[in-house]
Amino acid sequence: MLACMQPRSEMDIKALLRHTPLFEGLDGAVLDEMLSHFRRETWKQGRRISEQESGQRFHIILSGRLKMGQINPDTGRMVTLFLLQPGDAFDVISLLDGQPNPVILEARDDLLMLSTPMQEARRWIEEHPAFNRSFLPYLGQQMRSLANLAGDLALHDTETRLARLILRHLQPEAPGQPLRLIHNLSHESLAEMIGSVRVVVNRQLQHWQREGVVVTRRGELLIKELETLLKKAMQFSRHTP
Amino acid sequence: MVEENSCVAVYEEHLQAETAVRQLLEEGFDAEKLSIVGKGWQREEHPIGFYNTGDRMKLWGAQGAFWGGLWGLLLGAAFFWVPGLGAVIIAGPLVGVLVAALEGAAVVGGLSVLGAALYSIGIPRDSIIRYETAIKSDQYLLIVHGGQSEVERAHDVLATGDALDVTIHLS
Amino acid sequence: MNPESTFFTESTRSLKQSALFSELADSSIADILSRCRRETWKRRRQLPMEETWKRFHILLSGRVRLSRSNPENGRMITLFLLGPGDPFCIFSLLDGEAHDVMLETLDDVTLLSMPMSEARQWLNEHPEFNRKLLPYLGEKMCSLAGLASDLALHDTETRLARLILRYVDSGTQEQHVTPRLINDLSHEFLAEMIGSVRVVVNRQLQHWKQEGIIDAHRGHLEVEALQELAKRADNHLVKIPA
Repeated sequence: MLACMQPRSEMDIKALLRHTPLFEGLDGAVLDEMLSHFRRETWKQGRRISEQESGQRFHIILSGRLKMGQINPDTGRMVTLFLLQPGDAFDVISLLDGQPNPVILEARDDLLMLSTPMQEARRWIEEHPAFNRSFLPYLGQQMRSLANLAGDLALHDTETRLARLILRHLQPEAPGQPLRLIHNLSHESLAEMIGSVRVVVNRQLQHWQREGVVVTRRGELLIKELETLLKKAMQFSRHTP
Repeated sequence: MVEENSCVAVYEEHLQAETAVRQLLEEGFDAEKLSIVGKGWQREEHPIGFYNTGDRMKLWGAQGAFWGGLWGLLLGAAFFWVPGLGAVIIAGPLVGVLVAALEGAAVVGGLSVLGAALYSIGIPRDSIIRYETAIKSDQYLLIVHGGQSEVERAHDVLATGDALDVTIHLS
Repeated sequence: MNPESTFFTESTRSLKQSALFSELADSSIADILSRCRRETWKRRRQLPMEETWKRFHILLSGRVRLSRSNPENGRMITLFLLGPGDPFCIFSLLDGEAHDVMLETLDDVTLLSMPMSEARQWLNEHPEFNRKLLPYLGEKMCSLAGLASDLALHDTETRLARLILRYVDSGTQEQHVTPRLINDLSHEFLAEMIGSVRVVVNRQLQHWKQEGIIDAHRGHLEVEALQELAKRADNHLVKIPA
């Protein structure tokens, strides 16, 4: 399923990585050296494999989004643990602890990526402790997003979780614009990000549309009433008479 | 009521403890929030010495000159015979706590009366055992009572001095 | 901490026993200790993270949990249960930001504490530590990911079985085992580790007890039939009557 590389120059890649949290601080020469260990790889939208099947390689996403999640084989339900975007790397957990990570990877869009054997990536990180200056904060962010997911799942109802998911992906300067990262996702994909199912998310969004809180335009979810959504996310309104 | 946060420093020599007390006072710490524990010289067994919780200690007979400098700085002083530890001299708010412990308000299984007093101001058991050992080997405890930020500040002052170790106890 | 301190040797020994710090050279451990102060916290001490995130702590004895709560419905979820040798909070060590986590001691705890900036500086000066730190972070991330997936995908029985198994040494052939760290926790506390409530956990444990899978009495939990418990963790064919 590995497709041929789209022509994309080294310069392009470097320019792109320079704007990502993981690689922005890296010295030019170090970045060059790092890139020399990687090969390019593309995945078609919809490709869904287990982490083991991905061949124990470490990937950096250059374009497109990737869902990383777990599935309950008995019910077929999936939960998205991470929705990764250009500049993100995976699988960080198995890079860190060397154990296979029981996750499913799914290309949400056509993906263009760089990849290198896990072992190689591990060795490279060990030889370049300076990389930790951006790698450790990146890990912190990843952990934080996991903590948010777990916390929301245990503590809040679906409406609150959905409101919180949307607010976390607001464009800070332009709240009325399409959402960051989770734009044009299906209701099923949104449901997988909050541990719910399609019908529930669908019903909730329709309800919010009738209330005038959100509006859907050409598959994009747009926020009309930020204040109301904030209240729903904080669960203020629910229990007051 | 003595606050349940403290900073405890252990000293080898009484002079070091005295220097530390003066240093704390210079740094603006309240003398009424400092306690000192040390071993007395008495050999013969007294069930209990005497205690006063209000006045500044003035004179301790033959030992007065020796203790005067250090103990004169602090409020309230007492002299106890603690089974297992022997003669112990205490000054500061810990005296009141220890009196309460003696009067049965805080009996904690397996601890000496001094241990019970330390326990009731928020010091955990394993630390207490260490402090009792320190007292037995003629070392001195300097205890700063206060809120969290106060005891943290005390730690920073004491950590630069001669203390064998300094520990913050929060509850 | 002063190298002459009576606690120095003891703290060194504790660090040497922890997975994270065990392979450090004595001089590196001494360097950590020289930047640290020693603290004790009483059992049941609760504090919001904004009060502690500026300092880096290493637990020497006792247990601490990091959790989140919903004040509206009073529910609580434990994100991490930490034991001796665990540092906290790694979130702030990694990205230097405060975060929404509540901290609570389960026992009287002894810990080392240093300013976060010192911890970060130490980390920069000891790149060899990454060989231990990165796998440790991987393990913590994996456990958080496991918690989130379990919450989204599995019922209470499965979550409870998985929780217990996580604290049983893997690879053991014994059927009778005592789980680490969690074996003396209240049912309420166990519920807070799997996003459930006390009565549900209580009912489930009673049920397992009748089945001979576990033995639970007065705040003490033992696994009697590990194989059977593992089955409950993986499949959902066995359902308990409501």
